[in-house]
Amino acid sequence: MDSGFYAACAGLRAQSQALDVAAHNVANVSTTGFTRQRPVLIPNDPVVLGRLSFGTGVSLQKLESLRDPILELRLNQETQNQGQLDATLGALQQAQVTFSGTNSGIGDAITRFFDSLQQLSTDPSSLGLRQGVLTAAGNLATAFNSASHHLQTQSSNLDLNVVQTVGDINTLTPQIAALNQQIANLENVHEDASALVDKRGTLIRQLSSLIDVSVIQTEHGIALTTSNGTPLVAQERSFQLTTQIATGGIHKVFSGTVDITGQINAGKLGGLLNVRDTKIPALQSSLDQLAAGLATALNTAHRAGFDLNGAAGTDLFVPPAAGGVGAAAALSVAISDPAFLAASSDGTAGSNGNLAVISAVHDQAIVGGQKPLDFYSRLIFQVGSDTSNTAADLDASQLILRQLEDQRSSISGVSLDEEAANLVRYQSAYQAAARVVSTVNSLLDTVVNLGR
Amino acid sequence: MRVNPNPMPDLLAALNRTRQDTEDALLELSSGRRVNQPSDDPAAAAILVQNHDQITFTARYLQSLASIQGEFQTADSALNSVILVMQRALTLGVEGANGTLSDNDRAAVAAELQGIQDQLVSLGNTTFQGRALFAGTLTSSPPFVKDNTVPSGVRYLGNDAVNSVQIGDGYQIPVNKPGSQLFVAPGHDIFQAMTGLTQAMQSDSGFTAALSSLRDAFDYTSGQRVFYGNTLNQTESQSIYLGSAKLQLSQQENTLAAADVSAAASRLVNSQNATNATLAAIGRISQLNLFDFLK
Repeated sequence: MDSGFYAACAGLRAQSQALDVAAHNVANVSTTGFTRQRPVLIPNDPVVLGRLSFGTGVSLQKLESLRDPILELRLNQETQNQGQLDATLGALQQAQVTFSGTNSGIGDAITRFFDSLQQLSTDPSSLGLRQGVLTAAGNLATAFNSASHHLQTQSSNLDLNVVQTVGDINTLTPQIAALNQQIANLENVHEDASALVDKRGTLIRQLSSLIDVSVIQTEHGIALTTSNGTPLVAQERSFQLTTQIATGGIHKVFSGTVDITGQINAGKLGGLLNVRDTKIPALQSSLDQLAAGLATALNTAHRAGFDLNGAAGTDLFVPPAAGGVGAAAALSVAISDPAFLAASSDGTAGSNGNLAVISAVHDQAIVGGQKPLDFYSRLIFQVGSDTSNTAADLDASQLILRQLEDQRSSISGVSLDEEAANLVRYQSAYQAAARVVSTVNSLLDTVVNLGR
Repeated sequence: MRVNPNPMPDLLAALNRTRQDTEDALLELSSGRRVNQPSDDPAAAAILVQNHDQITFTARYLQSLASIQGEFQTADSALNSVILVMQRALTLGVEGANGTLSDNDRAAVAAELQGIQDQLVSLGNTTFQGRALFAGTLTSSPPFVKDNTVPSGVRYLGNDAVNSVQIGDGYQIPVNKPGSQLFVAPGHDIFQAMTGLTQAMQSDSGFTAALSSLRDAFDYTSGQRVFYGNTLNQTESQSIYLGSAKLQLSQQENTLAAADVSAAASRLVNSQNATNATLAAIGRISQLNLFDFLK
């Protein structure tokens, strides 16, 4: 009878603990990153009395957190991917503004410049039409200047964003390290650290959206590194990333004294660095190439002619620096007097012969083996398809992430129906155990009152 | 398998997507353009750059043609006048050669011939918008001046240069004929012939030679006038061609860039339906769970 009493008491305790677990799950039904828990009940060791062994009830062995570590890993990876694509797309969408609009921008300016030459060819000595050509040349230079300036500004904005992102990473890693410490402390004394593990998982997800993170499970907790091995967190220690201004006024990312700028490929930081260090410089250099090619070819053609006063033509544009670096930003018209425009091929004011020579540049392969507008339209195609491909990739990544989160939720999410059913089970088990106690109690009463 | 107990994030993502589709369709319909930035359709955006260039140039060629035609009509009518006054000179020369005129009459006719010479010089100096039409490329000053030190009595100050203007891709036409080919061509010099006839009239001799060289100059100039007629014909047919090319280019631009109204409208309807369906689905998610049924 004694063992029955104890078994019932153990049942009461275990069922009320199980009720607590269900209550905890219900309370966290809308908590981000929360992993539902399940009480694991096991029967107590029996007591052996002679040839008989009596069960001694039940106890709550542990709380089981229902999470799939592989799924968490996939989620982290896809989050990195998404962070990278998101940052890249944002930056590319801003960059392509420079190349938007067929009736404005560099393409239009090139067309209008050559158009003004055609117009002048019908009346080559007209000062008004000559001024028109100079204005169109000025607009062409301005179009290159402002496109280049726009890309430059964007590069600076991205740079600012890089510094901020590194700051964000540096606030996350110490938190993760501190959680590592707490989790290790709890686990050392075999306590349940599930809530802290959830919290750490959420922080690692956040970190994954910023930088590429590899999670390494060690005996003493977890270590986080970037994919190329730069340590971010090792157990209870975190390692700060730093930024330093380098040549060109952009910030490089350092871990200790090692420059890791070129090695970060994923997460928001990877996206930002990719656009800042690869995409925008490539666009900038294409613009420089086009500006330098046009200016050089137009100058050569212009020098072949004679101006309104019969003097030999000079450079139409200020000659670009050798190699063309910075040509787009620096492009400017070299002559200001419309009379100096070298339209004539023989020195007479009424000749338009050299205009045909200058106009011919429109159809000459002067930039990387291509005609100027072919080169420019190819550039547009590149910018456009880069942006739309990134957008498509981001869509796909978001879909994958959604599915992974679905899966995670189907394993770890709290279902109120389930919890309600569990509550009913635990409640009736508790009530039954209580009934057993009162039965034993009344039996004991009978025994105590036997002698009356 | 356990079902995801919280479908709300999925539904909200779907809602976000359909609302984005609606917005895109509305943007296309309201802007009237399908390609607003390169990423909307990279290939079309690239072609549009070339298309814009071609449209601009086609419009320019048409304007150039209009300006050339104005110039040519002026030149042609000047040459027409040249031919008319030369006919008058020929008539006068034939009368003089008949030997029926008195000395006084011949003096009067010689004076009229000198007047015709002046008229020819003035026609040779015809300008269009301030530019001398028969001066080669020395268009800023009159190409013909009277000068008694030269045998013909008129000096040509222009040059032999010819300007060309582009009126199509790779299609250039000459837009002027220098005076040296029209008025003072070697062997067909109009002024020389006129001076010869005036002198014959004054001296009452050498009519046959003078008349023959004037007739020769007359025939030559009439022949040269064909240049303007031919070129005008060329410009007219080119205008017609460019007009249809321009139309075609605009149509191409429309196909590439303009909103496909019916497609955009049907996408608008579809996305709105999808939004409504998703909203209905969210609304139908049971607000109840097992807790509601436990007492």
